[in-house]
Amino acid sequence: MTAASDRLELSRLVHRFGLGPKPGEYLQLLAGGIPQARAKILARRSDPGLNALVTPPFPTMGQAPSDPTASAAYWKEVYDQSVSVAMWWMDRMVLADYPFVERMTWFWHGHWATSISKVTYALPMKIQNDTLRTHALGNFKDMSRAMVRDGALIFWLDGEENVAYSPNENLGREFMELFTLGVGNYSQSDVHQAALGFTGYNVDQTSGAVTFDPKLHDNDKVSVLGKRQVFDAVTLSDWIVSRPENATFIARRLWFRFISSSIEPPASLSKVFENRDISPLINSIARNPAMRRPQYSQAKSPVEWFVSACRALRVTPSKLPSSGAVSWYLDSMGQFPFNPPSVGGWPYDEAWLTAAATQYRINLAYYLVQNGHIDALTSVPKSKMVQAAADWLGVAQWSVRTERSLNQAVSDSARLALLALNAPEYLVNA
Amino acid sequence: MSPCDFNRRQFLKYTGAATIAATLSMQDVAQAASVTPLPLGTPILVIVTLYGGNDGLNTVVPYLDPAYLSNRPDMSLDASEVIPLSDSLALNGTMTGFASLWTANKLAIVLGTSYPNPNLSHFSSMAIWQSGSPIEEISSGWIGRYLDSLPRDPFRAIGVGSTLTPLLAGDHRVGSMVPISGLQVPNGSLATQLELLAVSSTQDSELIADAAGSIGDLFSLSSTLTPVLQNAPPTSATPLAQQLDVVANMITANVPTRVYSVSLSGFDTHADELSQQNVLVGQVSDAITAFLTQVGTTARANDVVVMVYSEFGRRVEANGGEGTDHGTSAPVFVAGNRVAGGFYGEQPSLTNLVQGDLAVVVDFRDVYASMLEDVLGADADKILNNWSTKLDLITPVS
Repeated sequence: MTAASDRLELSRLVHRFGLGPKPGEYLQLLAGGIPQARAKILARRSDPGLNALVTPPFPTMGQAPSDPTASAAYWKEVYDQSVSVAMWWMDRMVLADYPFVERMTWFWHGHWATSISKVTYALPMKIQNDTLRTHALGNFKDMSRAMVRDGALIFWLDGEENVAYSPNENLGREFMELFTLGVGNYSQSDVHQAALGFTGYNVDQTSGAVTFDPKLHDNDKVSVLGKRQVFDAVTLSDWIVSRPENATFIARRLWFRFISSSIEPPASLSKVFENRDISPLINSIARNPAMRRPQYSQAKSPVEWFVSACRALRVTPSKLPSSGAVSWYLDSMGQFPFNPPSVGGWPYDEAWLTAAATQYRINLAYYLVQNGHIDALTSVPKSKMVQAAADWLGVAQWSVRTERSLNQAVSDSARLALLALNAPEYLVNA
Repeated sequence: MSPCDFNRRQFLKYTGAATIAATLSMQDVAQAASVTPLPLGTPILVIVTLYGGNDGLNTVVPYLDPAYLSNRPDMSLDASEVIPLSDSLALNGTMTGFASLWTANKLAIVLGTSYPNPNLSHFSSMAIWQSGSPIEEISSGWIGRYLDSLPRDPFRAIGVGSTLTPLLAGDHRVGSMVPISGLQVPNGSLATQLELLAVSSTQDSELIADAAGSIGDLFSLSSTLTPVLQNAPPTSATPLAQQLDVVANMITANVPTRVYSVSLSGFDTHADELSQQNVLVGQVSDAITAFLTQVGTTARANDVVVMVYSEFGRRVEANGGEGTDHGTSAPVFVAGNRVAGGFYGEQPSLTNLVQGDLAVVVDFRDVYASMLEDVLGADADKILNNWSTKLDLITPVS
């Protein structure tokens, strides 16, 4: 008999550090014990699940044609690419056998939150996504260096408007507030001077290509966080990331999204991030005793819920009959990849648990079950189907209330799947 | 990161709300379906949040001030592009609806509004406005605390949209969210089984109780709202007007709601501001004027008060991209038949700046206190942590 605390810890490992179990995976991992399961979930290795996935082309769109017919086709193509780049990424999240890298990339997307609503074109967003994936478990200093020269991010925060003779503070401020240091660890003067350091970078909006124009760059010394020198984006990023506050800030951001938005991390957590290596930090978080304590529950965001449901149902998002339906439902629930509501990223926990989101979730779950595979339920006798649903979805334990509801549906396994995907214990990772 | 930042970011975290969600039962659901209509003459507050930091100086424009023109050479509005309200201030020329409300003495403009030591971060500043607490950091919204002071009722405060706005989250109660397209619930055995998932369980953590509560709320809200919303789907073209269509339908159907929350994004105009901000403030003006006109033809004409705010105004001096960076104080608008129209506070100097930005003339808590006491009949000093002053924005019922 497995300990309830093992079921809880494994449920957190597969949902928070993976993206939900594939059919049979939860019981299989449970049988091997927590240390082995954790090693598998945190492993970085070539992923056979992604072998068959073809990356669609995202060609440079160039300028919009003036001819009305050609223009309409151009903008339809731009829109279609914005859906298909999101579907491509969600395919990766769903198909991966080792989804840890995709999970981390998803975290970093919310951290460096850049929205296609302004960037417009899929290609720059795809380039940024590849950059975040490359550095997802690498060194934060390298990631930050790459991001301050990322076309989508610069365009999103008006970096191409930021020129020596008239600085624009948007990138300088958000870089320190949201990406590296956190509010309170810099002054308004630092924001202004950092903006000067970031001057001179131009972006080609449709391709995301970044060029540096020395004539638009401030070549005078500026003073940022007590250091006075001539900065460019890279030296400025290095200096800010080297500040001790960066280690505390990034450690807390990861803890916030992986462990708890309400209970603070231990003060010692940032020690393992002294070299700015992300992998030891996230591994330390995954091994924290909080993983076994009941009070650290977290709600799944709409995309996390959708991806985990697709993994369980063996549904490939882009192969569903209608990509439009998927994007409409997720958008209505408040979350679609590459389209965060602001540079602050997405909300969390209680904000997702509204009556409004519930109705879309019920309908989307119905659509997914219709188009998915539920042999994990149909292959067991009725008397075992409710427990089989918990094992299938990686739920530690159903409440008595949920068991009562699911028991009413054991003669209709599709109905039972629909209810299980909407059960409070599936919406919230206990 | 300072501890204070963590708390600000904690703003969406309303632990106590779960206590209430956990008490939701099938009896609550049945009761909500037969809820009593809001009596005529009961005041209703509609809060409009403008996300991104609306540029106050290009909304209520000091159009003759040489400092306005010299600080914004490529993005100031000249006399032909504004609607003068006085010999020094004018509305952005796209705001013709607000100009007509002004003429009818139904529009109050509270100048120079912010709070002590304004914060230039979108997120910190919006948390301060929505919590109603500039000094002490607290994790509930000011309307949420109004809900805390009253018995639980999922109808009392409603936001239009899908994700919960922090404004409506108290320590023990939360407002409800309703999407523009309304709420549809399944029927038959699926409804029975889903409602079983909403029953509270002693095993529930706070978040799981919230998840169960959200399923229950869908059924309780839908039974009342679906007939209302299906009879009159939104017809307007802009996002804010569509949200206000939904609110107007609920108000005219006597849904027992005292506070509605709607919002519009896109005001973070660091670059190419004129083309964007003119359109947005025009939409705000058009949508609110049309909304007040619509409810103005009903028996609720004198019940509705609309308040419009943003997390901050913008810098006096334009940046190189013909936009403006984050600033401080800006006008707040209050509109409605019972509003005592006119200017409140005064326009901050464009030359005598405080740390490079506009001075703060009015504390937003003076506006909130007026809304709480004179619209909602609530105890403002309790909800606003002993705040004791207010503006007289609302004409008393004679």
